[in-house]
Amino acid sequence: MSDTSLRGKVAVIGIGLSAVGKVPGRSPLSLATEAARNALADAGIDKSEVDGVLSSHAFASPFHRFSVAFSEYFGIRPTFSNTLQVSGATAATMFSIGAAAIHGGLAKVVLVVAADSLLTGLTPDLALRSLTESRDQQYEMPFGIPVANTFAMTAHRHMKEFGTTPEQLAEVAVVQRRHAARTPGAQQTTPITVEDVLASPMVTTPYHKLDCSLISDGGAAFVLVSAEHAQALGIEEPVYILGCGECYTHEHIFLMPSLTTTGAVESSQRAYAMAGYRPADMDVAGIYDCFTGTVIMMLEDLGFCRKGEGGPFVADGQMTYGGKIPSNTHGGLLSFAHSGMPGSLFHFHEVIAQLRGQCGDRQVEGAQLGLVHSLGAGFATNASTILGTREAL
Amino acid sequence: MSQENAVRKPLPAPDADTAAFWRGLQQGRLLLQHCRRCRHVQYYQQATCRQCGSEELDHQPASGRGKVHSFSVVHRAPGPAFKADVPYAVLLVELAEGPRMISTLTGSSPEDVTFDMDVELTFESVSEDITLPRFRKA
Repeated sequence: MSDTSLRGKVAVIGIGLSAVGKVPGRSPLSLATEAARNALADAGIDKSEVDGVLSSHAFASPFHRFSVAFSEYFGIRPTFSNTLQVSGATAATMFSIGAAAIHGGLAKVVLVVAADSLLTGLTPDLALRSLTESRDQQYEMPFGIPVANTFAMTAHRHMKEFGTTPEQLAEVAVVQRRHAARTPGAQQTTPITVEDVLASPMVTTPYHKLDCSLISDGGAAFVLVSAEHAQALGIEEPVYILGCGECYTHEHIFLMPSLTTTGAVESSQRAYAMAGYRPADMDVAGIYDCFTGTVIMMLEDLGFCRKGEGGPFVADGQMTYGGKIPSNTHGGLLSFAHSGMPGSLFHFHEVIAQLRGQCGDRQVEGAQLGLVHSLGAGFATNASTILGTREAL
Repeated sequence: MSQENAVRKPLPAPDADTAAFWRGLQQGRLLLQHCRRCRHVQYYQQATCRQCGSEELDHQPASGRGKVHSFSVVHRAPGPAFKADVPYAVLLVELAEGPRMISTLTGSSPEDVTFDMDVELTFESVSEDITLPRFRKA
């Protein structure tokens, strides 16, 4: 391990959510502020201690410099700040860049914070268009290709190559809905069956409405400090950043090297290598689940099962309690909430709460190691983070 | 945004990298960039070869033959401009020359698309300046 490794150097000492789900009338700045207050209260420190802020873009408050606008609104004057943009992978990069900034001396207390109100702050058509307009204007958009379509084509090819079935895709939604039923504040908690998923309206083949993630309002925030700082503050259950990795393989879906094996292989291998752990060591996972098939492909690429076996793995109960890797125990983007950029921060919130043993009915017993994988833009962006308790250091 | 703009389909705005490509389409040719140095063939138009960095790129028209590497039939339109078109099949076509590209199926039912189906290029003029490359079942 080289001296520059981030392994164990930085701890998450505070986590917080805003109201999540359908939260009409609240701007992303207001939701971000609520989440930040909760995270700072959880950490037991005052906002005056925060000298670094990392945020992401919000469609409903489209400031180019959301982190700067947030700091003004929140009443702080950070000396390190940025608004990051690698689509759905942004969440994990906020943790790695925040950790690197602390380890490199750019900041002492970094607030990671994001919020958006895609459900009530935008009309549904605008919400959809806000996603489609991120596609290439010359080679993709003239053909009417929503971002959902890029993910759909990867899952579709996975079905062709490996025999993954619509029922196996649907099972992901069913399992996560069951998880959400035990999560206070989850947006969708009504139990669903595989038949319900298959009977829901087709959006873009092979994805039905219930194969697709939600559209939500809400935000999340986290407080990061150095491991020494966490100790000096007397934090009882710091959760350490043990490994991080990223991989960017393409921008355009037609230049994706393989539709069925993604940059998540390399991003997670880098994170595992830094952490010194293997996939089988993970107790819990937060896996970006914009669509059901995305989860199946990621269970393979993150090393929890072999390539092509993600469908049977899910159908066999391996992504839930008692299985190999309980995943998205809060319900994920499919059932807890998906407010855009903050969506993957909810996975971080859940995995950290699991590692702190705070998940009540849905606690994974004795969880000490967790992986969060964030991705976006038709698998163009991939970022993995491994988190662990003091015992896992 | 006015009602009229909201229902207008997005059209490409050619730039220095792509002007020749879009002009070629108007003339009924899909121009691919062939690298003289390493023989890499690319669809996405740029000043340099993505494989070796060379600037020695020649435009050559594609044969127009290809296979459907993957596809997805859109039932919920991405915005008002595409509502009248659903269901339509978005294709990820692998051209005979190697590169892949995004397009849509024309001339037959989207429900009949299959993986690795042979398709051939066709041209659809959508404005005075823009002709889109589309594909039909071969």
